Amino acid sequence: MTKRTPEEQQISQRYRELAREEPPRALDDAILAASRRAAETRPAPLVVPSGRQRWYFPLAAAAIIVLAVAVTVHVERERPDEEALVAPAAGVLSGMRTEKAQDMAKTEKATPPPPVSAQGFTPDPKPQARLESAPASPPQVMKESQPAVAADQRARDVDLLDSDRLAREREMRRQAAAGVAASRPAPASRADEPARETAALAKLAQQSPEQWLQGIADLKRQGRHDEAEKQLAEFRKRYPNYRIPESITEKFEKR
Amino acid sequence: MEAPDEALMLAYRRGDAGAFETLYRRHRGALYRFMLRAIKQRSSAEELFQEVWIRVIEARSRYAPQARFTTWLYTIAHNLLVDHWRKKGLALVSLDTQDVSVESANPARQAEGRESLARFLQALEALPAAQREAFLLHEEGGLTAAEIAAATGSNEEAAKSRLRYAMAKLKAALDD
Repeated sequence: MTKRTPEEQQISQRYRELAREEPPRALDDAILAASRRAAETRPAPLVVPSGRQRWYFPLAAAAIIVLAVAVTVHVERERPDEEALVAPAAGVLSGMRTEKAQDMAKTEKATPPPPVSAQGFTPDPKPQARLESAPASPPQVMKESQPAVAADQRARDVDLLDSDRLAREREMRRQAAAGVAASRPAPASRADEPARETAALAKLAQQSPEQWLQGIADLKRQGRHDEAEKQLAEFRKRYPNYRIPESITEKFEKR
Repeated sequence: MEAPDEALMLAYRRGDAGAFETLYRRHRGALYRFMLRAIKQRSSAEELFQEVWIRVIEARSRYAPQARFTTWLYTIAHNLLVDHWRKKGLALVSLDTQDVSVESANPARQAEGRESLARFLQALEALPAAQREAFLLHEEGGLTAAEIAAATGSNEEAAKSRLRYAMAKLKAALDD
């Protein structure tokens, strides 16, 4: 349509003779006001949230917050009360433990660490490290905060070292007597042995005296007398003032 | 020298409200008449006219001068017209070859009837919608056949054909 024919020009001319309507002023004002408002603000979103969609985001945010708070409160309420859990065990042991703590504190002051065995036994160069690697003490021990308890813990550590050393010496003597040197475990296993024993003793120390005694009685019943004697000695060292019930003593005497 | 439409639209996109006002004043009359004569109902025409400009405003951030601003403007107008006719149960294309009787137009104008201009207007209003739209896009928007095709979503040959039919009928009305 680059070049118009005379007929087309005539038609166009006649068309332009028609009324030249213009939009009303109010329409102009409304459109120009809208254009100015838009220029002053950010571009409108491609999809304007309307109706129900307007509430989606605030509702979702509120729901997430409520859920988070509810879960947190629920977890807090469901968490077991440590005080209530340890109370019975602590109650049974408390009297004995206080008594023993005092004894151990005395022992710590009076008795220096025993010298290294004259039999050429080489103690572990880092006993403290071994202690640190032992299983953690039970919660009831950790919960107590009196100074006597700290002394108790230190005394128990010393006991563990002593008993460990004695047990190893005894074991070496037993093996020498039995002439089972050839059947000794590999060096790597020997190196692990003290650690295992320490762990076993630490495990026993976590038991209640009654449980421990019952375990010793079981060993007796199984014919593992040496082991039972060893543990009994350890028990007496650990609980010097504990009166062993006669019913248990009878079990020990039965061979 | 006046700034081209595309530059004004880009300026408006950057936040220059004055550029839009210039653009609006340049095209407001032609677009208004296009709408008014396309649907012949003033209230609807004004509503659609306003809607075209609102869409221009809303689309400013996406505007890219890939074609003439006028083509883009009348493309929006055409789409709104199609929606309007669809709502009214009319189809733009199906009216392409259907002649609407001149006698079915406004009787008051028929009474005035001998006036050449009145006949011309009646002939224009009697054109099939697609032909009338092609003629109005050509006269008011200044669009070429190719641009009419682009604005109406048809091919150039169809646009030329519609324009030719419209011109022939209007010429006949002038010769009466």
